[in-house]
Amino acid sequence: MCILCGEFIMQVHWTDYTDSTDTEITVGNQQRIRQRGRLHRANLCNQLLSHYRLTLEEWNGSKFILRDAKGNAEIVHDLGTVWHHVEAMLGYPIDPLDVSLLDKIAERNSAQ
Amino acid sequence: MKHHGKKAITIVTGCLGSGKTTLLQHILKEPSINNNTAVIVNEYGKIGLDHHLLRQAEERTILLKGGCICCNSRADLEEELKELLYEDESGEAPFERVVIETTGMADPSPILFTVLTNPLLQHRYIVDCVITTVDAKNGMLQLRNNPEIIKQITVADKIVLTKTDICSPEEHDAILTHIQSLNPSCVIILAVHGKVDPFIIQETSNVDRLKVIHSLPSPVTHTNSNVSSISFSFSQPLDWTAFGLWLSMLLHANGENIMRVKGMLDVGENGPVVLNGVQHIIHPPQHLEQWPSLNQESYLIFIVRDIDTALIERSLKTFQQFLHTVVKTCELSTIY
Repeated sequence: MCILCGEFIMQVHWTDYTDSTDTEITVGNQQRIRQRGRLHRANLCNQLLSHYRLTLEEWNGSKFILRDAKGNAEIVHDLGTVWHHVEAMLGYPIDPLDVSLLDKIAERNSAQ
Repeated sequence: MKHHGKKAITIVTGCLGSGKTTLLQHILKEPSINNNTAVIVNEYGKIGLDHHLLRQAEERTILLKGGCICCNSRADLEEELKELLYEDESGEAPFERVVIETTGMADPSPILFTVLTNPLLQHRYIVDCVITTVDAKNGMLQLRNNPEIIKQITVADKIVLTKTDICSPEEHDAILTHIQSLNPSCVIILAVHGKVDPFIIQETSNVDRLKVIHSLPSPVTHTNSNVSSISFSFSQPLDWTAFGLWLSMLLHANGENIMRVKGMLDVGENGPVVLNGVQHIIHPPQHLEQWPSLNQESYLIFIVRDIDTALIERSLKTFQQFLHTVVKTCELSTIY
């Protein structure tokens, strides 16, 4: 259960599993590492989402907020749901195998 | 403890008459396995299993709204697994492992989905190993006629090739080549009358899969080919967050056609991350404390249907800007 929004979280997305095998974590322990990881994830997502003119913002170590240029915003829990929300916001499916997306990324890579 | 207190599940699947029950019969003869293993079967075959913890489950699938075939829940298994947990905890019939024998036509992915997504079961059970039995005599015929067997082979961690005593050397070689090209990462075990090492129901992760991939026979190509596999190896540690981003996006868009993803990835920690997925379902990745073998090279295998593997390669190489690593393609093969 998320203590901030009351959402019932039944599933931990596979990308959120870490190397820690501890079954119990003291409050505040590893928060810095976790937060750094979340910011890194949002940063990487933004590099990709910039091709769709969307942004992802880390929010209070709890959620992510996905925004488009028109001011629409959506609360996103993890990487399992972010792509679903991206598609809903864009109105068309996204695919990492899309040739035009790959061309755009490659173009930007070579420009850097 | 390896499974952090969770009960291990071994799934035994395979075509009708491919020797699933015979194999189980032999495995359950081993006293140390017999005493602490529960068995769930979908059908009582001609060969009966004599076991103190035997249960039958009528296959009942709950279709989820908008879900694809892999994302369906098996209500029958959920009930049986919960019932077994109750018996274990009440001290009535304690056990350490459950063996689930599927029907010959079953798609094993809903079983994985049920165990990995059910709010209760995911914390109490772990899918340890998927074993598929393939009939060496009739295997090629079944591969041509039954699409389920392709799915069963791609999902397998271990393949038991049965009836090797009654097949010709040509049949034996043909089926072996096919299995290896369909699922390059699986371990193949030969069996006659179900006689195998009973402990194959436990997963062993010390197999050097990279060696297996490198020693692959030349790929078999069919004119109506739509299933293909591609393997990558990575020469440097990769960024796990970036990789998760790419793979989750790929699975979101193409999960139904990505029949299997398997890998051991160096993410810059002491040990590698073991990745194992079937369609939309990814097992919780295991972060190992150390490398199981001296060869510390990362590898990643995709078995896909109706997807151009060259595009996956291009996509991964384009995304490597995020991944901070150099991707090498090991093997690119189109099969069946």
